[in-house]
Amino acid sequence: MSRDGDADDKGFEQFERFLEHWSRRDFLKRTGGAAAYMAFLAGGLEFLEACGGGSTQTSQTPKKGGHVIEGNFTDIRTLNSMLSSDTASNQVIGLMFDGLLNYKKNGDLVPALASDLPKTSSDGLTYTFKLRDNLKFSDGHPLTADDVVFTYQLAYDPKYKDVASPRRGDLSKYIASVTAQDPKTVVIQTTQVFAPFLANHALYGILPKHVLGDLDPKAVNTADFNTAPSVTNGAFKFVKWEKGQQVTLARNDNYWNGPAYLDSYVYKVLPDSVAVTNQLKTGEIDIGPVDPGQFDAIKTATNVVTSEFPVPTFTFYAYNLDPAKLGGQLFGDKAVRQALLYALNRQQIVTAIFFGHGSVANSVEPPTSWAYKDKPQVLYSFDKAKAESLLDGAGWAKGADGIRAKGGQKLKFEMITNAGNKQRESMLTVMQQSWKDIGVDATPKLIQFPQLVSQIVSIRTFDVFLVGFNWGADPDVSPLYHSRNAAPGGFNGADFKNDQADTLLDQALNTLDRSKRKDLYGQFQDLMSDQEPSPVILFNSGIYGVNTRVQGTDFGPFNQFAQRPWNAKVWVTDGK
Amino acid sequence: MLAKYLVRRFFASVIVVLGVTLITLLLMDRTRGTYVPGIDLNPNLRPDDIERLRANLGLDRPFYVWYLTWLWNVLHGDFGRSMIDGSPVTSHILDRLPNTLELTGTAILLGVLISIPLGVIGALRRGSKTDHTLTVVSVAGFAVPQFWLGLLLILLFSVTLEQHGLPWLPSSGATSPLGGGDVLDRLEHLVMPATVLSFFYLSLWSRFTRSSMLEVLSQDYIRTARAKGMGERRVVYLHGLRNALIPLITLVGLELPGLVSGGLVVEVVFGWPGIGRLLFERALQYDYSTVMGVTFFATLLVVAGNLLADVLYAILDPRIRYA
Repeated sequence: MSRDGDADDKGFEQFERFLEHWSRRDFLKRTGGAAAYMAFLAGGLEFLEACGGGSTQTSQTPKKGGHVIEGNFTDIRTLNSMLSSDTASNQVIGLMFDGLLNYKKNGDLVPALASDLPKTSSDGLTYTFKLRDNLKFSDGHPLTADDVVFTYQLAYDPKYKDVASPRRGDLSKYIASVTAQDPKTVVIQTTQVFAPFLANHALYGILPKHVLGDLDPKAVNTADFNTAPSVTNGAFKFVKWEKGQQVTLARNDNYWNGPAYLDSYVYKVLPDSVAVTNQLKTGEIDIGPVDPGQFDAIKTATNVVTSEFPVPTFTFYAYNLDPAKLGGQLFGDKAVRQALLYALNRQQIVTAIFFGHGSVANSVEPPTSWAYKDKPQVLYSFDKAKAESLLDGAGWAKGADGIRAKGGQKLKFEMITNAGNKQRESMLTVMQQSWKDIGVDATPKLIQFPQLVSQIVSIRTFDVFLVGFNWGADPDVSPLYHSRNAAPGGFNGADFKNDQADTLLDQALNTLDRSKRKDLYGQFQDLMSDQEPSPVILFNSGIYGVNTRVQGTDFGPFNQFAQRPWNAKVWVTDGK
Repeated sequence: MLAKYLVRRFFASVIVVLGVTLITLLLMDRTRGTYVPGIDLNPNLRPDDIERLRANLGLDRPFYVWYLTWLWNVLHGDFGRSMIDGSPVTSHILDRLPNTLELTGTAILLGVLISIPLGVIGALRRGSKTDHTLTVVSVAGFAVPQFWLGLLLILLFSVTLEQHGLPWLPSSGATSPLGGGDVLDRLEHLVMPATVLSFFYLSLWSRFTRSSMLEVLSQDYIRTARAKGMGERRVVYLHGLRNALIPLITLVGLELPGLVSGGLVVEVVFGWPGIGRLLFERALQYDYSTVMGVTFFATLLVVAGNLLADVLYAILDPRIRYA
């Protein structure tokens, strides 16, 4: 069911979560949300990763005992790693289930259940994983290669096609076979060389075959295990889930990385970002994401350490380039696209709308990526004169009403974004004013998030849309920019089609060597800085608050919900 | 007579339930556009995948077909599974309902217990400073948005008190995350949301009691009672209040549906794991089955609440007869 070789399967996961965040935020006109994977974002606070520079490690000796309460905005949906399609669920699953590999905070892969990174065959098609010695589930049952094979079968094997796994699309496309060579060796045979394979697909929590193996595929979808997993393999095991309120976990003494210091870990559902700030202050929660608008309120609290770091998230707007649409006629000429970008004072947007928590973007790769190029070929600073001369040069002359026109066609269009996101609403107002200054008539229009998504991925009658996007750890950006993804359902709603871009993206995907890939993505960023089909306005920042009593966390841009190799090493100074 | 009345009300209720659920679905369906819960943002979906998922959710059919299918299943006791998370709708409702009943039940009870004395005081001291103060407070009760009052209480009773090292109240949830759940713990969590919610009822009902009381006190039989030389206390409480409270019963009965839905705003502000929040969140996600299940259930309660109020009214007020 996969349409596209390049895209990350995790689209499912983000999407539902955005809706939840968006829903609450829309209600109180505040923001709150989190994205762990590649997707469009509804809200202003898209990151639940914590302290980037700020790992809370001290020289103190860790103590056993106590608990940590982490706040988030969304309730979980399932605790089955192969059925999960939202970040809240993935976060809690990550506390209870390890996969073969995990991420470091900079996005590099580290072994988890596997004893080392896998051996890749010379043709780049086969990955051989060795499992650690004496792996056990929380019930003492050994964890073997059979469990790994079973977990992946659920999502790729036609035998299990009735299992409603959101991963089936990608896994059934890329995986030829997963086999257990011996109890400690797993071999994954892929169908094609695909550079992001490990980063995207080697982190799924491994499920216990001895619990789920006897169920028929349909029964897996509704198994009790999905809401109350009796057996886990991660730092914690399941205690209870009080819906709409919290999930409680307890230490798993059989964890491969040594038993956790904490007795229990609680995932608590909160109403919104104001509640997070309040409860960080009162100590009702120990860890929580902080909205840029709330930063000053939390900064003064002596019991909370805040830190800020870049996240793989950006806010961008896109022109509709479909020649059959109005946008195609207005924006088909890249001079117009460039001129509009020159006319925006993006530093002012970062300062005034995001309170300085973010940075002006020069590239389509986020700065958290190893493939990021900070100075691509064309750089855009605020330059109104240049914007006007570009438009003049392209034949768009000002009419009597002050609006530019060319061949009877006025430079007049509509910009859409999701209602309820104050930052984006403000950005549209700024864009309207900035563009009016150069004789362009742009009207903001606010629509609901599901409708915005429908516009981007299928309806596509918009002229310009504004939205946020979150990337994974791999620098592949083809979902937004490859012509293949301009098909209905794809993320390339701008209908950007450029042969050179396609070639560079495809080459980069089929190259395993990192330095060669980096070079290809560098060329791609140069090209995009010239083309600007969908200019990135800013790179967002993540801010996280952690109570001073909590030690041993080491958050970073890529240590998000499910990717926390240090789960077992968190401890609390007061032992409570 | 009553039996005949009840039968007629029953059929009217069926029409109400059908109407409400149908309109709910129609509204969701008309605003949904091409959106399909849970799949639009998967970059890997081909158009035929989307079609297949749409078909799985029954969204490829016209809404009335979806409605009839749903109705058929409901009549057979099957509320289906959530379109978002796949768990049974009934389990969602049953998980959340006790919390909501705890919150709104407490609020309504508080409202009744406090509003009646306040209303009586206002009526007896009509035009006094006390009366004016009560009037101002109850007008404020209508005018102040619940979310604002809730946030203010949180700021004061959680954040500020905590910062000054004083005993403070938890700001969200129904129980403490760890070791919570006993009566005292639940009460601690209940205080603020129940206060906010009851503030509205209080304002409404105390005003109503006041005017109803004033009306009754001007009746001839009160004058007669006084003329007989009956004590003022007996006049007010035995003859006055008893009669003044009859219309209030209808009013409280009309608020009974609020047991389920009335707490939405408060539930959101205080992170209360209730059914109103569930409905709200799922409506925004176009989770048809959950929304329809909750709506159906809430409508039943509304209808039952109204019926109960009407029947009680007849029992308490001998002048009312059903025909």
